Amino acid sequence: MIRKILIANRGEIAMRVNRAAHELGIATVAIFSEPDRGSLHVKHADEAYCVGPGPSARSYLNIPNIISAAQVSGADAVHPGYGFLAENARFAEICADHGLTFIGPSPTVISQMGDKATAKRIMQEARVATTPGSDILESLDAAHKAARRLGYPILLKATAGGGGKGIRAVRTPAELEHAFATAQAEAEANFKNGKLYMEKLLEAPRHIEVQVLGDTAGTIVHVGERDCSVQKPSHQKLIEEAPAPALSDRVRSRLHDMAVAAARAVKYTSAGTLEFLASGDDVYFMEMNTRIQVEHPVTEMLYGVDLVAEQIRIADGQRLSLRQKDLVPRGHAIECRINAEDASANFAPAAGMLESVVLPGGSGVRVDSFAYAGFAVPPYYDSLLAKVIVHAKSRREALAKMDVALRETYLGPKTTVDICRTIIADEAFIAGGVTIDFLPALLSKVSLMRDAQATTDAQPSAV
Amino acid sequence: MASLNTAPDTWEAALERIRAAASACVEGDLSRLRIDEPAFTLEVRRTRRPAPVVGPAGAQLHLPETIEAPMGEPAHTNGVAHEPAPTLIKADLVGIVRLSKPLVSEGSSVSEDRELAYVESLGTHNPIRATAPGTIRAVFVTDGQPVDFGLPLFSIVYE
Repeated sequence: MIRKILIANRGEIAMRVNRAAHELGIATVAIFSEPDRGSLHVKHADEAYCVGPGPSARSYLNIPNIISAAQVSGADAVHPGYGFLAENARFAEICADHGLTFIGPSPTVISQMGDKATAKRIMQEARVATTPGSDILESLDAAHKAARRLGYPILLKATAGGGGKGIRAVRTPAELEHAFATAQAEAEANFKNGKLYMEKLLEAPRHIEVQVLGDTAGTIVHVGERDCSVQKPSHQKLIEEAPAPALSDRVRSRLHDMAVAAARAVKYTSAGTLEFLASGDDVYFMEMNTRIQVEHPVTEMLYGVDLVAEQIRIADGQRLSLRQKDLVPRGHAIECRINAEDASANFAPAAGMLESVVLPGGSGVRVDSFAYAGFAVPPYYDSLLAKVIVHAKSRREALAKMDVALRETYLGPKTTVDICRTIIADEAFIAGGVTIDFLPALLSKVSLMRDAQATTDAQPSAV
Repeated sequence: MASLNTAPDTWEAALERIRAAASACVEGDLSRLRIDEPAFTLEVRRTRRPAPVVGPAGAQLHLPETIEAPMGEPAHTNGVAHEPAPTLIKADLVGIVRLSKPLVSEGSSVSEDRELAYVESLGTHNPIRATAPGTIRAVFVTDGQPVDFGLPLFSIVYE
């Protein structure tokens, strides 16, 4: 029986977990870094322990201090939130070694899904569609053969790769020789392993993901999909919605079925997300996130479930309280991420004192935030200040509601409020089904218009 | 920040109160702030030498090194400006503090490297030592109390 949860995170997700725990009658322990001493997540927890100075490596990633705080406070479970230690299999193991229930899947599943090659192999065995690709390419000749089989454009990838290193997009056979040599050299230099493989490059795909829940008795359900195609040039999501618009019922149910099959294949226990790339009617598994996600509230609004409470119940060994046939989506939900960022300067972080905080409200409007006027946002962490989520009967009404909610929102001079308003007023977005190239293209357009406006403003008046 | 006029019921609350009083002291540029309530007395004094360290606007408040805050009894106010500034010895990890024997208290003289306490964390003993000979000005913790990163344990005036 879980009685006290240490929340190994900060900001809005720490607040979110705190709420779920308190609603279940479970006590909470917050951890914080020195600059976060005044954070709301600290004030709302039953107890709080400072675990180190500002830099994450010395505080929110400081495993000995976090485990010690759990022991000193008498916590019996740890919720990792997202980011930080959420997908660190070793941390999950250490929790178990110290008699703490890790609220998430098993360390084995975390490490299996954390390794791209292993994850892909498991998904193939579970008959989940993965991006068509090759084995390790022993030579340029083998690369030419594989590219002909897959069809251009293709991606060359380092087997040991990560962080975008050792990846080359190749659009024509003529480019292949040079790309092969440079990708190999880069992989050798960065990972001391020059081995390459090839994947089909999906041009302008949509990012659609499926929420799953699994309990320790082996029950797996899906809680529908989310469309997260509105991404910054850095591939960070900005707006998410559910259900995915402009998606055929056939593709939608295929996604749901594959997600359940995938979760079943790894005997998944907790809340998890399977991310897919969709291009036309083709959908391919990309990766599985073995944690709660930032955008989970759109699913909660659409289905009327509490995913974090489910995570806690599952970790406590309880059966899922939801059956697949009871999980019925109602209406439409949209989330906008309000970050302390300058959208006109490539989303450069704009941390600092929150002089004024005005958050929206009203029927069907949910705000998950830790912002308050007078809080100095530390520069060490991600720039998410608030998530504005709306729920309405239809997508059209949800968009109208979001626009009103964003008009009410003020968190400072440099936030993503304005760019979110521009996006939801854009014709292509309103039509639905935009691809991951949508926002980068919109940003160039907005920046061109701004430059043109600046030129016009600079002209002397003709009157 | 905690309200200044209700009695702190936990040690954490007391520390929060001291921080609030300290910040009021720094912000108001006061050298002394005293709160007298039926349940408790809190007095914060600030020495003017060296200059108090005040963070930039919006920075988190830390207990400046030159502030001392005895709880429960009014402190002496004579000769404040002539006393050497005490140094705070803080916990640098999370755990349970164990005061080392012989126990030190206000006025104890300690030698360099004297172990004042240790913090028990995940089964390890992490000694807290005086880095030079000096005189203990205050002991902020009790034996067996949980401590977290940056928590003041002792105030000491080094020779």
